[in-house]
Amino acid sequence: MSAPEATLRPEEQELLQEIMNIAFGQAAADLAEMVDIFVVLSIPEVRLIQAEVLPAFLAEAMPGQDRISLVEQGFWGQFKGHGYLLLPSGATRELVSLLGNADLDATPGLPLKDLEMETLLEVGNILIGACVGKLAELLEDTVSYAPPRVAQEYAHGEIHMQDLWEPGSTAIVLKTLFRFSGRNVSGLLFLVTNQDSLQWLRKALAGFLGRYA
Amino acid sequence: MGKSVLVVDDSSVIRAFLRGYLAGEEGVEVREAVNGEEAVEAHRSSRADLIFLDLTMPVMDGVTALGLLREMDPSVYVVVVTADIQPRSIERVLSMGAKSVLKKPPVKAQVLEAYHTYLASTGSAP
Repeated sequence: MSAPEATLRPEEQELLQEIMNIAFGQAAADLAEMVDIFVVLSIPEVRLIQAEVLPAFLAEAMPGQDRISLVEQGFWGQFKGHGYLLLPSGATRELVSLLGNADLDATPGLPLKDLEMETLLEVGNILIGACVGKLAELLEDTVSYAPPRVAQEYAHGEIHMQDLWEPGSTAIVLKTLFRFSGRNVSGLLFLVTNQDSLQWLRKALAGFLGRYA
Repeated sequence: MGKSVLVVDDSSVIRAFLRGYLAGEEGVEVREAVNGEEAVEAHRSSRADLIFLDLTMPVMDGVTALGLLREMDPSVYVVVVTADIQPRSIERVLSMGAKSVLKKPPVKAQVLEAYHTYLASTGSAP
């Protein structure tokens, strides 16, 4: 049996892009409900790329950042893969103050590094969880989540995500850039799935069109 | 009398949904624009009775377009259709004069309700 074609038609990519747009809108709204923040959304991008070139793709997506903070969270259902939140590593202090810990030096209990990690984890969990959850809802899937993990102070060259996929496999990357209005924080959220999900994804996209068209 | 509806969205999928939903309504002429700039130009060249307007678009976003449309035509009737459902986004466009906000993906019943509300506001409801 031949392997399924690892590609999406242009109209499927456009539909997936719109669904990602809706999903990230939900994620932003969920975050805004929790903290007093306004997220400036951008137009998402859907790309199919070789898993091996993902780190280079990320470096290109966040130019001028030597080091980044990364939250990773796996999810699985019919749609399965990993969600990533990337922020410049210097943005974590800003995030801590966003979540109500403005007086960093006076925050008792947790050292700043731990507080930054906790905050990153929380923001990543909200954004990835809400985005994946909405995407799954729109495509009539139910997903489960692994606990999010934080990798702080990650250099681009150190990102080894390709071990999550077979060599030569294709990653479907759904990427959106965002910015917190009035704050010097901007980042990147992206979801990566592989061709194991592709056949299901095609059917799910057709189903979505059938329900709304 | 026919109604001119302008659907503004960079996604052809959403434009097709809205066009399809309105297809059963009598006397509706639907035009499309793919960004805010095209929407402003389309309205300038031929006034639309009702505009369904997305917010997150390339070239010119919907918030900027809404401001320009209201400046050009203070009585323009705009319904925002958006994925950006943050309370501040919704409050902002309503304060700028949008009549209502529909969240994406738009469903037929809500789009038709918005259209009929528009008709009622003009006294031309069926």
